[in-house]
Amino acid sequence: MSGLVYPTALGVYRIGDMNNIDPLTGLLDRFGCLQTAQSLSCDSTSSANPFAVIWVDLDRFKQINESFGHHGADQVLKDFATRFRNRMSGRAEIYRMGGDEFVFLVPRCNRTQAQHIANELANTVEEPLSIGSLTLHPTASIGIAIHEYGEDSLALLERADRAMHAAKGKGGNGLVCSGDEPIPGRLGITLAREELALENMLHTALETGGLCLHYQPIIRGDGQIEAVEALMRCTVDGEDIPPGKFIPVAEKTGLVIRLGEWSLLQGAAHARLLQDAGHHTKVAINVSRAQMISPKFTQALHAALICSNVSPELVELELTESLFMDISDTVQKNLKNAIAAGVSLAIDDFGTGYSCLANLKDIPAKKLKLDRAFVSVLPEDRRALAVVKAMTQLGHELGMTVVAEGCERKEEIDALLDVGVDAIQGFYYARPMPGDDLLPWLQTRGKK
Amino acid sequence: MNSLHNTATEVDKLLSRSVIDLGIPPCPAILNRFMSEAQKEEPDYHRLSNIISADVGLSASLIKTANSPFFGTRQRVRSPNEALARLGLNTASRAVAGIVLRESFPHVPNLERFWDASARTARISGWLAQRFDIRVRAEDAYTYALFRDCGIPVLLGRFPNYPAVLACANDETVRSFIDVEDAALPTNHAMVGSLLAQSWWLPEEICLAIRNHHELTTLESDSAILPLSSLKLIATAQLAEHIVQQQLGLSRTQEWPKMGPACLHILDMGEVFLETLYVEAAAVTAADE
Repeated sequence: MSGLVYPTALGVYRIGDMNNIDPLTGLLDRFGCLQTAQSLSCDSTSSANPFAVIWVDLDRFKQINESFGHHGADQVLKDFATRFRNRMSGRAEIYRMGGDEFVFLVPRCNRTQAQHIANELANTVEEPLSIGSLTLHPTASIGIAIHEYGEDSLALLERADRAMHAAKGKGGNGLVCSGDEPIPGRLGITLAREELALENMLHTALETGGLCLHYQPIIRGDGQIEAVEALMRCTVDGEDIPPGKFIPVAEKTGLVIRLGEWSLLQGAAHARLLQDAGHHTKVAINVSRAQMISPKFTQALHAALICSNVSPELVELELTESLFMDISDTVQKNLKNAIAAGVSLAIDDFGTGYSCLANLKDIPAKKLKLDRAFVSVLPEDRRALAVVKAMTQLGHELGMTVVAEGCERKEEIDALLDVGVDAIQGFYYARPMPGDDLLPWLQTRGKK
Repeated sequence: MNSLHNTATEVDKLLSRSVIDLGIPPCPAILNRFMSEAQKEEPDYHRLSNIISADVGLSASLIKTANSPFFGTRQRVRSPNEALARLGLNTASRAVAGIVLRESFPHVPNLERFWDASARTARISGWLAQRFDIRVRAEDAYTYALFRDCGIPVLLGRFPNYPAVLACANDETVRSFIDVEDAALPTNHAMVGSLLAQSWWLPEEICLAIRNHHELTTLESDSAILPLSSLKLIATAQLAEHIVQQQLGLSRTQEWPKMGPACLHILDMGEVFLETLYVEAAAVTAADE
C-alpha cells in the first residue's frame, strides 16, 4: 500500500487512508482511525501537546434497528454522521468504528477541552430525531482518553473504548474520562487487532500480486468434468492467509468487492486459457453478496468478459447463500443481466444458513451445490441422506444440476450418486490446485 | 546469455497463465519479464536494461520519458540503462507498463492520437504534481494519467459502434461521459480500465481514480466517498488534459466544462490561475519536444 502522508486542515498527518471509507456515512473507518491515531502518536513529541480520543456510542440503537429495520437504522447513522460533521467542522477528525460507534480524534486537546467537546457532541446527539411519524430523543455514552506521551495508539483507543463502556455501564447518557472508570470494559479494539492486520494484508495483496486462484474440479457421475471452481488464495510476505480468515474480514470491510472483481477477471481469463488449449471447461467463480447488491455488478461482469475475451458460457457464477436474505430489485436485475450476458448461475452451500426455499424459485440458477455439512455424515446418517435426496429431487424439479461438495470418501460418493446427485466436488477426486497444474491435470484425465 | 534466455522463457511460461487476452500476447511478455525482474528483492539492472533494449520502440520511449522535463534535469540520458538510473525502478516500471500498454492494441486502428494525448496528459500531470503543492506523488499522477483511459482501446477492439459512442460522449454537455457509454454498451471504459489496472496490481488509489474519473457527483461530494489521493489524481489529470487540449486543439471534449470547477476546487486553485498555468505548461511542452 503506498501510503500518502499529508497535512489536513487540522494540521494532522494522515497516512494512506485510501479506501478506508465507511460507505454508509462517508466517514473514515476504524482502520483509518487507527492509522491517524498512530500518526498522531508518532507526531506527539512531548507531553505538552496531547491529543484526545472521544469515543461515542449511541444508546439503545439496537431498538432503532429492531423498530425501523436496517434501512431506517442506516438513515439514522447517516443523519448522525452529518450532524457530527457539521458540529465539528474541522475541529476533529471523525471516524465510524462500526455499528453505532463513532470516534473523534482531536489534536492539541487536553482533558478539559476534550470534556467540553464531548458535551457538545452529547448535545448534538440529543437533538430530536424524526423517523416517519415518530420523534425520538437519542442519547449517547461517551468515553474520553487523552494521549500520554509515548503511548501506543491501540492502547489509547482501548482506554477510550473502556471509558465509553464504563459510561454505558452507568446506564448510558453520560461521559467518563479514562482513569475515572470503575471497571475494566470490554477490549473490543483488542479483538479487532487481528482483523486490522488482516485488512492491511489484503490491501497489500491487492497491490503486490499476493492473490491467486486455485481450481478444484467438479466431476460428474459419468466421470466427465462438470466444471472447476476457482478458489482465492492470498499470500503476503511469504505467509499464506487461509480463506477462512481473510474472507470474513474482506466481507466486513467492503474489500470483498475488489477481491470479487479481481477473481471475476482472473477466473474468466483462465477459462479462456483452457478454451485456447482445447478444454471447454466451465470455471465457476464465487460472487459475494456485496457484489450482487451493487448496481455496478453488471458492468463489472461485462468488463471481465470483454477483457478476458472468453465465451460467456464457460463462466459460472457461484452465488453465496447469504444472497437469500434479501433478493432486492437490484439483485434481481443483476441476476437477469448475468443470464442475458450468457453466464450461468449456481447456488452455493445450499441447505444450511440462510437458504430459503421461498427465494429459491426467484434465482434463475442452473446448479445447486449442497452444503458439505450433509456429506461428512454419509452414508451412515440415514436422515441426512433423506434430506440430501429430497434436496436433489427439488433441484431436479427446478431444472438444476445438483452437486455435492466436500466429498472425501468413496462411500460418501456412492451414497450421493445413489440418491441422484449429479456431480461431486472434493478431495476424493482432486484438491484445489494452482492454475498451472490444472491444464496438465485435465490433459492427464482426458487420456484415461 | 543462455541463463537470461532460460529465465525469460520461464517467465513467459509463468505469465502465459495470467495474461489477459487483449489480442496482444507478444508485448505484455516484455512487460511481464521486466516486472518479474523489477520486483525481485535485488533486481539486476543489467538484465532489466537488456530486456528493454530488446525492443527498440520501448527503449526509445523510455529514454524519451526519462528526458522529459517532468523529471526536472537538463542532462539527457542516451541509453535504457541511464534511463533506468534516472527514473528509479518504480517510475521506470510504470513508464514501461504505460509504453507497453500503448503497444498492446495493434489490432485497433487509428489510436496514435489517443496514445499521444494520453502520454502528453501523463507528462503534464506529473509536472503539475511536482510543480504545485497538490500532494500527490508525481509518478502516481503520471501513471494514473497514462492508464486512466486504458479501457477505451479495449472497447474499441470489441464494439464496432464504439467510435460513434465515443463521439457522442465527447460532445455531451449535460450527462456524464460514462452515462453515454452505459446507454449504448453493457459496460464503460472506466470500469474496464479499473479491472485491468487491478489485474496489473496498480496502487489502490489509482484503481479507484480510474473507476471514478467521470463521476462528477463523487468529485463534488463532501462525504469523502473516495480517498483524497484518488480525488487529487482525478483532478490533476483532468486539468492536465485540459491544458493539453488548450495547447494542441486536439480531441476537444466537454469534460472540462463539466468537471473543471470541481477539479479546481479539489486542487485548491482559482480559475484566474489557469492563464499562468497555460504559459508555464507551454514552456514545459516545448522543452519536451
